[in-house]
Amino acid sequence: MSNIAGKAYAMSVITPIRWYMTWINKLFFWVAQKRKSTLKGLITLSLIHYARWVIIGRKQFPHLHPDQPKEDLHYSYMLFFSNFNGSWDQYVDSFTFSIPSGLDLFWKWNVRYPRSVPLTPFHEYIRYNQIETTHYYSAYPLASANDIKAAKKVRQALLDFDDRCSDVSPEEFMKQYKGLLRNLQNDLGDMRPTPIVSMSAQQVEKRRRRDVRKEKERLAVLQEERKHA
Amino acid sequence: MTKVLDLLDIQGNVLKAYGRFSFPYARYVLLRVCHSEQGRKFVGAVARQVTTAVTWGEGPGQIPKPVATTNIAFTFAGLRALGLPEASLRGFPSEFMMGMKRRKDILGDNGPSAPEQWDPVWHGKQVHIFISINGQQMEHLEQRYAWLLRLVQQSEGGVEVLHGHRGDSAATDLPYQNAHALTENGKLTSKEHFGYTDGIGDPVFEGLPDAMRYVAGRGKQTAKGWEPLATGEFILGHIDEAHEYPRAPSPMSLARNGTYMVYRKLHENVGSFNRFLAHEGASYPGGREQLAAKFVGRWRDNGAPLTDAPDLLAKQEWDRRFAQASPAEKDRMLSAFTFDQDADGAKCPFSAHIRRINPRASLQTASEAFDTPGALSNRRRILRRGLPYGEVKDPARDDGNHGIIIMMMQADINRQFEFVQQQWVNYGNDFRAGNDKEIILGNHDAEYPSRAVLPVPVDSDEAPYFLRNIPRLVETRGGDYFFVPGMTALRMIAEGSVDPT
Amino acid sequence: MPDKSGNAYALTILSPIKDGHLDEVAYADIVRRRLDNWNLLENSPMARVPQTYLCRYFVLNDVFTQSLAGTDVYGTWFDFLSIFSDRARRRALPREDHLKSKYLVFSCNFHGDLDAYLRGMWLAIGNEIRHAWEFCYAFDQVRSDDDFVTYMKKCQLTASLFFVGSTDDPLEEQLKSLYLKQEFGKFVIEHQGLAAVELQQAWREFVARVEPANVKGPSWSPGQYRLRQETI
Repeated sequence: MSNIAGKAYAMSVITPIRWYMTWINKLFFWVAQKRKSTLKGLITLSLIHYARWVIIGRKQFPHLHPDQPKEDLHYSYMLFFSNFNGSWDQYVDSFTFSIPSGLDLFWKWNVRYPRSVPLTPFHEYIRYNQIETTHYYSAYPLASANDIKAAKKVRQALLDFDDRCSDVSPEEFMKQYKGLLRNLQNDLGDMRPTPIVSMSAQQVEKRRRRDVRKEKERLAVLQEERKHA
Repeated sequence: MTKVLDLLDIQGNVLKAYGRFSFPYARYVLLRVCHSEQGRKFVGAVARQVTTAVTWGEGPGQIPKPVATTNIAFTFAGLRALGLPEASLRGFPSEFMMGMKRRKDILGDNGPSAPEQWDPVWHGKQVHIFISINGQQMEHLEQRYAWLLRLVQQSEGGVEVLHGHRGDSAATDLPYQNAHALTENGKLTSKEHFGYTDGIGDPVFEGLPDAMRYVAGRGKQTAKGWEPLATGEFILGHIDEAHEYPRAPSPMSLARNGTYMVYRKLHENVGSFNRFLAHEGASYPGGREQLAAKFVGRWRDNGAPLTDAPDLLAKQEWDRRFAQASPAEKDRMLSAFTFDQDADGAKCPFSAHIRRINPRASLQTASEAFDTPGALSNRRRILRRGLPYGEVKDPARDDGNHGIIIMMMQADINRQFEFVQQQWVNYGNDFRAGNDKEIILGNHDAEYPSRAVLPVPVDSDEAPYFLRNIPRLVETRGGDYFFVPGMTALRMIAEGSVDPT
Repeated sequence: MPDKSGNAYALTILSPIKDGHLDEVAYADIVRRRLDNWNLLENSPMARVPQTYLCRYFVLNDVFTQSLAGTDVYGTWFDFLSIFSDRARRRALPREDHLKSKYLVFSCNFHGDLDAYLRGMWLAIGNEIRHAWEFCYAFDQVRSDDDFVTYMKKCQLTASLFFVGSTDDPLEEQLKSLYLKQEFGKFVIEHQGLAAVELQQAWREFVARVEPANVKGPSWSPGQYRLRQETI
């Protein structure tokens, strides 16, 4: 079980909302999707790979078979899935410090949401309603969202530079190369494994690596035995 | 808001950096409690001499400035050894309970900074009590130290002084750690061993005497300008920036007006620093002193900030103004700057020391994106105390006895010190610098050679300069997490009367 | 279409798990353990599913009943009513809700079209899919990639807001870009201060080695968590 895949952290939160209030949430989400300025704070934080909000009406849980009992719920539910960089504390704190009104806008209509300021009740609300991830995958555990965005810029700049400058005179090449470096000067940070996000996550990771190693050794032994059999 | 603090209830070293108040000599003593009741009596005796944060003066009813100061703090193990009730102990935060040694992976104290390399005093018996003595002259310090030793003797084995601090040459068993302001040509300076002017720009928060006079550059950057930070960022029992009381153990009288102190002994690899500076300075277009300024974000000689004095020419102009400025104006020139006009890091690089330790409002990269410009840095501020120790006998070597003792005060060790150390010093994602570390303090190693970019203005003709293979310049040689109680709490601890029921 | 943002797609799947057991272990717990065992493999099976950015799996046991203090839009109204009616005071407490089934939750962020993605997933890790979904209602009818697409669409929930903080490029482009960023960073460091002629020559060699335009050339592999040096 792990909420962590390299530099990414998986947060999943499920909260009840009165079924007849969901339209308000959907309205604000719709506005946010259309008006990019609503999400300016979130974009500037630059901590998130991908995040989504899903509203499940109380009668909308998937029903696939007559044998499956139909759900009978008082509330509808809002699911929040986020893939972000940094520790849990940093992420939740950054929401409260930077975009408290935006947070409130999206969660205010949920039952007993405590508002994002002060901090501790909000921390507790998120922890209380958070579900741990069993298996989490990132295609690039060594990269944060910032790294991916910088990488896109680097690739486009390199392709453009190669197009224009591979065959020019050395003096012109040097001039253009300096320009290329100036353009990319803040996009070339080294990428390596992430700092640990908590002592317990580190212990879990150590044990997992040990288990992976033992599993490999076991399979290797089996293969040897099969060879000689 | 005119908030007033009980200065008589707060320990003096929390609000004052004694070094700047003409106490250039310090001695730090670590002790162990061997017997709970005798230990408490000892603490009570010390408490009678503990220096408070009261403003000194010579007038009637005022407290005159002492010739020596004394302050005291406790580790979690120390509080337990003194008999604090379990229910109170349970209320302390987990990082404080673990102690700094066990947090080494979070702090990046690996390789040469690993606890195995620390001074012997941190290896043996667990440290319980920290006592600091500052003196205006060495003789004042020695007198106060002699007084302390007498109290230890009178405790009849209740407490013992721990040995094992490393000093000059082969000395590894000293009973104390000395520290002192460095001198240049016989005059006291506020420099450290790499040659930088240190101790500029302490945070300003509500309730500090003279808060409004020094708030520019030292408080928080808001839409209205500079305002003092909330007291609760630095002192327990007061409202913090999140509009609540910082988490604290119970009862309230134990926590109130107290704070947490992170004590770290940081060895400075002077030889590596000089070699690195000479080597890179030879190819760096701006020359050696400008390169040295880029490491930290301030010029070495007088601390002029790069944002206001980005090159030699601007510095000369700055120096001229500085020489003619009044002391208050000097303080403003040193502290009251922002990174608002330096979005690319062309003046002060993103990996420079001061930008990583206090990014001011620069993490708000789009205008008015956040609730307040300093949203991501207001809750990461730290009060810095301490002095350099030792002396550089050979600037080409690393193995001398030279470094700094730093004591960082904040209401939440994990959110303030540990966060800055882990996310901003040893990692760079928040600065869009990938894994690049802070140049001076980062735990650089040979396994993944460190780099740092020194950006140039986008409209210039130059290329940015990349520092390569940055050596580890600073190594941890010891330290721990301490609780600095308010005076009421201190007396209650001494009396054994803390009761959270 | 709120599930899409540019070319990135947010897939949210809740698959109800049958209420049964195998050797006294509930199906839901078996599912959880099977998913957990993926953590012990060399790398996640999802690394083999084309165009997958980030995804997660967990078993949703039940919903949470709110007991922490918080604000409520009807707060003051109930406060007034409660003066007159004890029933009103009790009614103001959050209701206790329970799910009748447990759900396998699969939340995935990928590039491109939904049908193509699901078919690709079935083709790449059909065995693992069957292993994880074995105990879900109506999954025994899933025999082909068509069946799988139909089944998943029945389990799909629509996102109300999908926020993309990264890019929506094809995965190969993201990985290639990361590879180039890493390699070019090293190039810049190693060739700092070189004269123009040598630099230009070194650049040509660099381009020949890293092939910036060729997404199928040298690159990072999906799910790569080690830098090249470590594997030597």
